[in-house]
Amino acid sequence: MKQIITLNINNQNYDVVVTPMDLLVDVIRKTVGLTGTKKGCGQGDCGACTVLIDGKPELSCIKLAVASVGKKITTIEGIANEDGTLHPIQDAFLDHGAVQCGFCTPGMILSAKALVDRNPNPTQKEIKTAISGNTCRCTGYINIIEAIESYANSVAEKEAK
Amino acid sequence: MNILSNFQYHAPKTKAEVLELLADIGDRSKMLAGGTDLIIMLKEKMIETENIINIGDVEELAGIKFTDEGVEIGACTKIADIENSTELVKDYNALVHAAGELGSYQVRTMATLGGNISHSSPAGETPTPLAALNASVVIESKRGTRVVKAEDFILGNRKNVLEKDEMLTKFVIPAPAANSATVYGYIGLRNAMEIDAVNMAVNVELEADKKTVKSVKLVMGSVSPKPIVSEAVPALLVGKELNEDLVEKIGEAAMSEAKPISDIRASAEYRKDVVGALARRLTKEAYELAMEA
Repeated sequence: MKQIITLNINNQNYDVVVTPMDLLVDVIRKTVGLTGTKKGCGQGDCGACTVLIDGKPELSCIKLAVASVGKKITTIEGIANEDGTLHPIQDAFLDHGAVQCGFCTPGMILSAKALVDRNPNPTQKEIKTAISGNTCRCTGYINIIEAIESYANSVAEKEAK
Repeated sequence: MNILSNFQYHAPKTKAEVLELLADIGDRSKMLAGGTDLIIMLKEKMIETENIINIGDVEELAGIKFTDEGVEIGACTKIADIENSTELVKDYNALVHAAGELGSYQVRTMATLGGNISHSSPAGETPTPLAALNASVVIESKRGTRVVKAEDFILGNRKNVLEKDEMLTKFVIPAPAANSATVYGYIGLRNAMEIDAVNMAVNVELEADKKTVKSVKLVMGSVSPKPIVSEAVPALLVGKELNEDLVEKIGEAAMSEAKPISDIRASAEYRKDVVGALARRLTKEAYELAMEA
């Protein structure tokens, strides 16, 4: 039943041994060793396991690893700049105190990044909708929404130039 | 070690390959499209299966295609692609609205329109607008193709008309009639990541005078094991102009047809009241939009 598949994670190919039953979140965390992706509810409700698949946010706890072959998977480890400095949305989260325990943060950031990628001028309602599948139990969301607004504004300003 | 029980995985690339597999092992297989229902049911041990057929990467099963008669939506079209479709909004806004209310954004980027109706949950978001918009469901197998109306597809809680060797391949939705409008509404406990307590879609078509009702289709979801197409509301409304008195009667008529249960999300009594409120509100809304159509 075991097979070798190639997963493209953060622009790097990983040959991993899996069974068809292995969930993407477990392969990313245990086999590949990228533990930035969190496992929360395990039922697709809390969003802690969010990764980008071909640029779109998906839930790795309800996705089979074998069904992710041939796609570009981006985890939180893959969005910082190559020189190791943070992605502007990560900076925005830090600047606005949008991180407390940090468990929801990777998923929250990836959902937010995907939103601004598809819609550089989101309204506050659109921001709330985009992160409605990411549960935070610490901050009350206000600072998170402000961080995303500020990141979106900076992207919009850059595009205007 | 695995949380999921053993199964064999199949990843066909074409519709023909899928139909071949279904003819062969359809009786001991489950179809995987987005997986937002299936994987959870496998994890929870609500179901077991020997084979998983992943149709998520079969390109010919996805996509939104406009035709002279209306629009065709592939079974594997993502809910988010419907939600974000600027072309569907104009004539099929009821479906776009319902798509945008399903799960979370992550769920919508994974889940498919075919999967939502094939899961056949009584509380599904999209079967009600599909029925109100007079959508047909195209079902294929190696034996051939058949077409059923959207409202006839679901038979009961997690039961539908699909035989073991069949799959849903696409939806065909006719262009809306002249002077008509369809609207969708729902009531749930929250604005996101909730399962509807009641949802409803209403399609009102007016005569050329833009006042007299020519036809009305009111479909209610989550108040019976399958969507209910009202018979009482057309009986009240066809041939008449809408007025406040009729609006009240429509609410009562819809309530009399709903057969809700009490569960964790709402009591049967509350659901009945919501059916009345939605029927009054949405019929009025659709009527006013149809006057301007």
